[in-house]
Amino acid sequence: MIEVQGLKKSIHNGTNLVEILRGIDLTIPQGQFAAIMGPSGSGKSTLLGLLAGLDAPTEGEVILDGTPISHLNEDELAEIRGRKLGFVFQSYQLIPMLTALENVLLPFELNGSSHRTGEGRARATELLDSVGLADRLHHYPVQLSGGEQQRVALARAFMLEPPIVLADEPTGNLDSHNGEHVLELLLRRHRESRTTLVMVTHDPQVSERAERRIILHDGLVIKDTATATPMAVTEANCDS
Amino acid sequence: MTLETSSVRPRALSWSAALRIAWREFQAAPAKFLFVVVSVAIGVAALTGVRGFTESFQKTLTGQARTILAADVSARMFRQPSAKEIAGLNALHGVERTQVTEMVSMASTPSDPIPLLVSLKAVDPSRYPFYGAYKLRPAGTLRTELMPQTVLVGEDLLIRLRAQVGDSLKVGNSSFRIAGVVEREPDRMNSSMGIGPRVLITQQGLAASGLLQPGSRAGERFLMRLNPDASDVKGLRAQVEKILPEAQVTDFREANPALTQGLDRASSMLSLICLVAMVLGAIGVAMSMRAHLEQRMDILATMKSIGARSSDILRIYLLQTLLLGLVGGLVGVVAGFGVEWTIPLLAAKLLPIEPTLRLPMRAGLAGLGTGMLTTLLFCLPPLLDIRRVKPSLVLRRQVEAPSEMTLTERWQRRRMQWVTTVIILLALAGIAAGLTSSLTVAAWFTAALVTLLLFITLLARTLLRLLRTALTRTRLSLPSFVRHGLSNLYRPGNQSTAVLISLGAGIMLILTVFLMQNAVLRDLQETLGKGLPNIFLIDIATDELDGVSSLIAKQAGVHGAMERLPLVAGRLNEVNGKSGDELKQQKVPRHLLQSVSLTWSDTVPAGMKVHSGTWWTPGAKGKVAVREGLAKRMHVTVGSTMVFTVQERRIPVTVAALYENDGQHVFGRSEFVLSQQSLAHLPVVWYGAVHVDAPQIPQMQRALFAAYPTVTVINIADLLDTVAGVVHQVTMIVRFLAAFSILAGLVILASSVASTRFRRIREVVVLKTLGARRPRIAAVFGVEFTVLGLLAGCVGVIFANILTFILLHRLEVPYRLQWVAAAAAAVGTALLAVLTGWLASIRILGQRPLEVLREE
Repeated sequence: MIEVQGLKKSIHNGTNLVEILRGIDLTIPQGQFAAIMGPSGSGKSTLLGLLAGLDAPTEGEVILDGTPISHLNEDELAEIRGRKLGFVFQSYQLIPMLTALENVLLPFELNGSSHRTGEGRARATELLDSVGLADRLHHYPVQLSGGEQQRVALARAFMLEPPIVLADEPTGNLDSHNGEHVLELLLRRHRESRTTLVMVTHDPQVSERAERRIILHDGLVIKDTATATPMAVTEANCDS
Repeated sequence: MTLETSSVRPRALSWSAALRIAWREFQAAPAKFLFVVVSVAIGVAALTGVRGFTESFQKTLTGQARTILAADVSARMFRQPSAKEIAGLNALHGVERTQVTEMVSMASTPSDPIPLLVSLKAVDPSRYPFYGAYKLRPAGTLRTELMPQTVLVGEDLLIRLRAQVGDSLKVGNSSFRIAGVVEREPDRMNSSMGIGPRVLITQQGLAASGLLQPGSRAGERFLMRLNPDASDVKGLRAQVEKILPEAQVTDFREANPALTQGLDRASSMLSLICLVAMVLGAIGVAMSMRAHLEQRMDILATMKSIGARSSDILRIYLLQTLLLGLVGGLVGVVAGFGVEWTIPLLAAKLLPIEPTLRLPMRAGLAGLGTGMLTTLLFCLPPLLDIRRVKPSLVLRRQVEAPSEMTLTERWQRRRMQWVTTVIILLALAGIAAGLTSSLTVAAWFTAALVTLLLFITLLARTLLRLLRTALTRTRLSLPSFVRHGLSNLYRPGNQSTAVLISLGAGIMLILTVFLMQNAVLRDLQETLGKGLPNIFLIDIATDELDGVSSLIAKQAGVHGAMERLPLVAGRLNEVNGKSGDELKQQKVPRHLLQSVSLTWSDTVPAGMKVHSGTWWTPGAKGKVAVREGLAKRMHVTVGSTMVFTVQERRIPVTVAALYENDGQHVFGRSEFVLSQQSLAHLPVVWYGAVHVDAPQIPQMQRALFAAYPTVTVINIADLLDTVAGVVHQVTMIVRFLAAFSILAGLVILASSVASTRFRRIREVVVLKTLGARRPRIAAVFGVEFTVLGLLAGCVGVIFANILTFILLHRLEVPYRLQWVAAAAAAVGTALLAVLTGWLASIRILGQRPLEVLREE
């Protein structure tokens, strides 16, 4: 479960103090798929980043499964992120010097499990297989297409079976076919493992498939609606 | 930025507009250019320092020429003048004259009877020195402090004998009171003897000591000052040369030609070492420029797509390069003065005078000019590549250039590369020629440097490739942070090769100097092996010879009987019937015509090998054996005739044999060995040589000094210490300057980190997002820098050993691989690299992830 209380974030932009988030209160229960929407500059990505502890809020608190994370230091945050979160970026952010398999293995190894690489490797291989990249294990990111890179990034995010997956416009850089594929993989994960999925998106078609739509404007939540039968819609779409 | 357009096509960008753009870019990211500036500054600082120092030194030399000589004209000879010569000197008109006698001898204090080898200098304080002044402690002048019964001594004598001012010092047969300490000696540079601490004594004192006998190894200097009304230095010099044909005559205008020449040569050599640092720095600058231009690609493409010509853009970046060279050069010149001040600290013992350091314009300009030129040269290739940027890059970021090139384009490009390479090489040779004033040296230097850099590049590339292959094979079985760190070496934009080359070359320089120094000193050390003489006794009178010999034989730790060498001072007059100027034209060493030590032996002495001819039978007359190397120079073979003169007596001899000696016995330095009969009834002094076990040497010296105080003892071990000390100081300077190359390498490493900063930050952020803690990220970077440092160390070690092997082979000194030094160099480089790398990435490690991701 993710709880957000009175979250504010301002940054210094040269000479000006810009308020990006101006007071957000939210609770996202375990297993929910929430889409965060809003125009450019409304604070979507910042909110997602704060949920992941990628930065410290100016005010307020983010609580992940009962643990307040706003005042943890970098290394404590890293540990929490490793255990609880999978993060998917718009521009994939694979490490260019490592192969697909090694990129997927990273979270596992960073979690101090390097001595069990054999086990990790089996999992990573299986995950890459499940995203359709069984034949791309030893390719470097530059040798992969955008869609393939994003699927590697998904496998990486799922590696430690995190209860929460955060995705920042994961289909934003992809064509519709690849975007659909990636989205499908994220949703399958959400369905099968009941992971909490929080996704920032511009795309109304994507958000339609969410259980909940949170719309931001100028750093505030202006609309927060639950959709009726999201799963049914999703499945209907799949069948068609 | 605006480009003015005319009706048809854009006009060329004006220089001032180009300068404005270049300057803006410079201002926008000063930190990025910091490393470029430092890279340039390093070489410039070293060069300015070295040349500034030699320039200051030269100026001091000419400025104080009279003081350094202590006279207008000086004549030096290695025997007592004859009555006729003295009469000739006395007849000189309008000239004041004084005599300085220098020799080595033994001295001791009553409290510590182990005698010390000292450089004795006897003067007449009422006249000497004609120019300059002694600085004494307690303050005083020679005239007031130096009496027939007193001596003035160097500080080191007091320390080594644990004596104080006021103590008594025994020199030869007499005792003297130490009246003070000599702190500065104006004409120290012109001393004939440089072994042991200075003891200044009066001529009367020297006479009383009984040290000076006919044939003693003493140097005589006649110092002359012209009266103000008769200022014809040239004329006086010519007259003196006529009166004393055996003497080396110099006047103050020459300012010590040998020293000036030596200084020039040293300055050239050291300048070349600095040039290496400069070239390495320039390679770094070129790498940074290339990275900078690559980051600017889309801006360049944008400029081109709105009508800028290649030449306009070239102009901007040419100015930027020059600007960077100028700023770096200026920083370097300022730092160079620091280097200039450091040099005398490193080489205090080597310097015969204390130069007045100043800020020489010429050195500064030379440093600045060389720095800017080298920077520009090495930046030519990346700058010229600007012309290949295609405007279409605006639309598509990833254009694969090579596949699109036509054959003509490729050929043109290759031709351009060759032309650029030739220009760089020629200009580099030109710079080297300017620094050394020798085309030959410059050509050799350039060829050697280029060959070396090529080979180092080859090795660096090969090592990186091998590692990559090994990594591909084993990557998944490696611990994750090692695999990741190693993979990072191949990060796009990393300048791994440049770092390897520059760091490797720097390490190579320093290590080579160290290995050479070690090998040569060890070789010297080893020749001191057991059984060979390690103690030499000098100036034994004939009537003392048997006494000294039996006293030595009775001492503990002495091996074998004392070897004896009789010496008769004379000079060479004729070779194969030719004399005087004819001999000089034949390149017969000039010193032989002035003074030569003759010896005799009717049997082949220990340590000598006859190479041609045969030794004479005892009792033969008129025979000589000549050292082979010298014979070759003089064009002398078996059967040639020679005439020596000893005290006005002509000694004609025929060459009977040519020999080579091992330099380890008492005859080791002799150049002419005559038959005993030829030198009969002439004044002779004897040298002795013997091996004494090191612990017993002080005891032996004490006993000998008590009985024969005028006999000088030279301990080869002490002499080796002196040699080692000099070698050490020389290598200190070389190492100091070579360290600038290493510094250049480290700056290139830092700059490589800086130019991949954005990529690194993104990696760090992604890793943090995936749950990595800082220690883990630091470990990944640590592996990257350690391996880079180790590889650079290996490159340096390999080339240092190759170079040392070649140089030692030429010196005929055996080469041995020094594992400890090699390992220390490699590990040391790795440590330096890790430290530099981490320092350069501190800010990267501390990044908050979101700030970076927001920049997307």
